[in-house]
Amino acid sequence: MRWLHACVLAAAAAAGLAYAGHLNSYWMHVAIIAMFYAILTASWSLLAGYTGLFSLSHMAFASVGGYTSALLVLWYGIPIPLGMAAGIAMCCAVGGIIGWVCLRMSGPYLAIFTLAFSEIVRITFSTEDQVTAGMAGLHVPALLQSTSRLPYIYVAFGLLAVSLAIMAVMVHSRWGLFFRAIREDEQAAAACGVRVAHFRILAFAVASGFAGLAGGFYAHYIGVLTPSLGSLDLMAIVVVMTVLGGMESLPTAVGGAITVEVLQELLRAYGQWRLVLLGILLLLTMRFARNGLLTPIWQHLVRLGDVPTAPPATRDVGQEGSRV
Amino acid sequence: MDYLFTQAANGAVIGVIYALIAVGVTIIFSILKIVNFAHGDLYMLGGYCAYYVITLLGVPPVPALLVAMASVFTFGIVLERLLLTPLYSERTERKDEYGLIVTFGLAFFLRNMALIVFGPFPLRPPSFVPGILHLGNLILTNDRVFAGAAGLVLLGLLLYFMNGTIWGQALDAVSQSRDSAAIVGINPGRFNSLAFGVGAGLAGGAGALIAPMFSLAPDMGVSSNIQAYVIVILGGMGSVLGSILAGFFLGESEGLFTAFFPDPTRALSYTNAFGVLVLMIVLIFRPTGLFGRRHVRME
Repeated sequence: MRWLHACVLAAAAAAGLAYAGHLNSYWMHVAIIAMFYAILTASWSLLAGYTGLFSLSHMAFASVGGYTSALLVLWYGIPIPLGMAAGIAMCCAVGGIIGWVCLRMSGPYLAIFTLAFSEIVRITFSTEDQVTAGMAGLHVPALLQSTSRLPYIYVAFGLLAVSLAIMAVMVHSRWGLFFRAIREDEQAAAACGVRVAHFRILAFAVASGFAGLAGGFYAHYIGVLTPSLGSLDLMAIVVVMTVLGGMESLPTAVGGAITVEVLQELLRAYGQWRLVLLGILLLLTMRFARNGLLTPIWQHLVRLGDVPTAPPATRDVGQEGSRV
Repeated sequence: MDYLFTQAANGAVIGVIYALIAVGVTIIFSILKIVNFAHGDLYMLGGYCAYYVITLLGVPPVPALLVAMASVFTFGIVLERLLLTPLYSERTERKDEYGLIVTFGLAFFLRNMALIVFGPFPLRPPSFVPGILHLGNLILTNDRVFAGAAGLVLLGLLLYFMNGTIWGQALDAVSQSRDSAAIVGINPGRFNSLAFGVGAGLAGGAGALIAPMFSLAPDMGVSSNIQAYVIVILGGMGSVLGSILAGFFLGESEGLFTAFFPDPTRALSYTNAFGVLVLMIVLIFRPTGLFGRRHVRME
């Protein structure tokens, strides 16, 4: 079966959705937050795992998306989906500009630059408290007029599915190949005709757009927005989730997000120790299983689907020659 | 006018402390070729180490400073041996990414560990030298004078170590070419540890010096980390002297920025943003920094 891994994913998602109605309100909240993180980790893996752009401003983009949408809705009373779309557009634009500005930077320079950008965003949002209400929190209208959390689960699931579908199409096309070529060796990629500048900016804009989507959804789901959405600690949690799952493919990154979020809730009694545990897990994963803990499982699944049903047909030399 | 002088003097002291943190980042970068994202947290550890040595063991503040530096130095070497050895292996792919994620994770781990072990409340160790110094109209606490002077001594010792001793020369050789250094009989592995340890020890010393001025808090490393990057980028990655000069410059310009910012209620929170803005602008227009050394750059 060629598409075994995709079928398994679809089946798991369908089972999860069917079961969602039986969850209690608390675990529904956990599921929604897990899906919020899943959008962030998937888009961060597109940026850091596929393209090799280790950006630390992903949560800053989420908070830009959230604040853009919330403020537009509050000031002009536009419909919330339109506000979220505006947040996404804003994040794409700012992300594209950041991507363009740091074209010459690589590795740690890029990380420092994006760290600086995220600090500026966070400081500005918390200092300009006449506009953003600062650390007191901005009250944001809710996305749905519903007291149950079940509709939010469907919305979050829909957003996650659409985001994953778009990103999956992207990374399995030629573009995905270009992204990975840029990660492996920028100069070699340029020599092969990959428009490195073009695709670096594109990766930044797209990933930031998804971060903005996640941020907008979060703002209108939680109802209170503070600048700590863009804090370094949340960024670290996104990094932990992505690296633990496996940053070089989308499903493992999503799996990492869901696993870590559920783990965090199960260990709630341990309070602050959970974050220490996550730090240790990240260090151990990097040291001993750098590809991520879910990657071997996923690759096994993919390979299982690829088992040829018939022995490969022998090709004649003529055909082989014509391919060169 | 007096306010201005006071701000300038304070800026100079802060500049020395910044320089102490930043030279560590630079030394680690030039030898190990990674940016240490956990540097601010080593600085935080130094501060807490001095605090507990003073309050629990009753050691006077000045020896406590040395104890703090020695313990963070040792801790740095342990960390380097435990976590960073894959950086020297030929089989590791994309080493800069590895160094980034590991030090970033280390920072996250140390910060949250500190929050549990030391508690979230600010702590303040006793002064090195109690009292206030009057110089004409200029008023400075003795702690600031002591921190500035001790910082200058440490920076002087470091410059001597880097330029005047054979170990410093060996460090320079490793930073220029690991293979050539190995050929002339320098063990690069040992100097990797030494570089990380020295960088960590200096950060620890800076933390111990600043503790009586500003209180200690588990997340104090975050902003100082960013200040250190501002300085290192401004002074050029790998240039010790450049970092010292840039440290002074940043300390001074932040002090004066606070003094001149039109809206005093926001001046303090935008001071950090100011340094970061300088960082972004320098990175955009001159990614190698103002005094960057050509051979010390990322591969």
